[in-house]
Amino acid sequence: MRTRLPVIICGVFGVFMAAQYFITAEPVTAMYRAVLDWMQIIFVCALLVGILNVILRQLKSAARPGPDRVYAGIALFGIALMVVLGFGWGIGRGSAFLWVFNNVQAPMQTTVFSLLAFYVASAAYRGFRARHFESALLIAAALIILLGRVPIGEMISSHVPAVVSWVLNVPAVAAKRAILIGIGLGMTATAIKVIAGLERAYLGSRTR
Amino acid sequence: MRFDRRYIFLAIAVAVAVPMLFPIGLPVAVTDETRQVYDRIENLAPGDVVMFSFDHEASSLPEVRPLAEAVLTHCFRRGVKVIGLALFAEGAAVGYDILKDVGEREDKTYGEDYLYLGYRPQYSAAILGMGESIAEVFPADYDQTPYEELPLGQRVKSYADIELVVSVADGSLPTYWVEYAQARYGQRIVAALTAVMVTAYNPYLEAGQLDGILGGLKGAAEYEKLLGQPAAGTRGMDAQSLAHLTIAILIILGNIIAFARWRRGKSGKEGDA
Repeated sequence: MRTRLPVIICGVFGVFMAAQYFITAEPVTAMYRAVLDWMQIIFVCALLVGILNVILRQLKSAARPGPDRVYAGIALFGIALMVVLGFGWGIGRGSAFLWVFNNVQAPMQTTVFSLLAFYVASAAYRGFRARHFESALLIAAALIILLGRVPIGEMISSHVPAVVSWVLNVPAVAAKRAILIGIGLGMTATAIKVIAGLERAYLGSRTR
Repeated sequence: MRFDRRYIFLAIAVAVAVPMLFPIGLPVAVTDETRQVYDRIENLAPGDVVMFSFDHEASSLPEVRPLAEAVLTHCFRRGVKVIGLALFAEGAAVGYDILKDVGEREDKTYGEDYLYLGYRPQYSAAILGMGESIAEVFPADYDQTPYEELPLGQRVKSYADIELVVSVADGSLPTYWVEYAQARYGQRIVAALTAVMVTAYNPYLEAGQLDGILGGLKGAAEYEKLLGQPAAGTRGMDAQSLAHLTIAILIILGNIIAFARWRRGKSGKEGDA
């Protein structure tokens, strides 16, 4: 039953969501709206499970002696602080919640993200080697795009932006389109298998 | 010759920091892609409604904020009404801040000229749901005022009342807008993206599923030029240009050193023989 019931629910709703696309009758539309509401309700429940999981894991780390203890403590403090600030004084303009978000969380995240520039530069220096014709072609394309996507490219030659535009709009789009078609076909096949009950990996390892 | 990578880090730091402190003012040429988005907004009539979805995380803020500010400024100057929302949790506070900043700067009234709905989880259900009824997905705005009590909320019921959606994104959210809002409800969409995501969305632009793509800090700088109002995008262009140039030089330098090593190894072997 643990396997059969979810497979039946999935099959029924899968067929309904496919069929409702072509049916405009009011009962079907009402049912479709109810399904959309339930999708959000289920997602919020999953979100709560996720939050609880993070808190429990951090509590376990905080209880265990070791260097992770400090980080777990900071994480728990951060979660508690944002909850207290948000529920206590609101999340609107001028609130402490928004101040902490804009002046602590956002700068921290952008700082970590900006470190990428340093590692990308280092990796480009060490990894981009013209060992054969294909890799030389890749380097040439990379250099053209790198310089052509900034004003320096236009200063080098007025043709550089045109070449960049061609690379991005012709070969790159062709490759990306092929990938997208492959993904689309794969998704369709997987969806049909899930609706038919042939694909059960989403139920977890114990029910396979 | 071994090259300490800390010199590379230093070179990038200098390339980024110096132009920020001492702007060079490199000229920015407007590309067809940016002009396409500009013209799309320019052709909206005063009173038309544009929905701004802040579909990004705080980490990409330096790149997406100038994009969002430029397009929002243009919308407000055209007399276009704006409804903001977020489909990423982090985008909720960011979007609220940006919309309020630009709205107040352009002397617009909250509730009448623009409003902010906040965040809804499960983006596919939220996008589909707004095609049926925005008030059902967002019963209240970010400040908890009931949606239908706001003047703009009374006017705008679903996508049928919205001229254009602008998805300000650093990931895959514009794909969902295309798949659910464009394919099902015929909603027109523009994507304002981080530069690295532009290539991923070009097929949608070519297929006519997106009305335009505005890409990265350069897109913001170009848009600011069209608006005649240089701002964060233009300021960032000098730093980005020098950083790109530094990386290009490093790639060439790396290959010259590798080639010299290969030549030395080859001549060494010939000498041994």
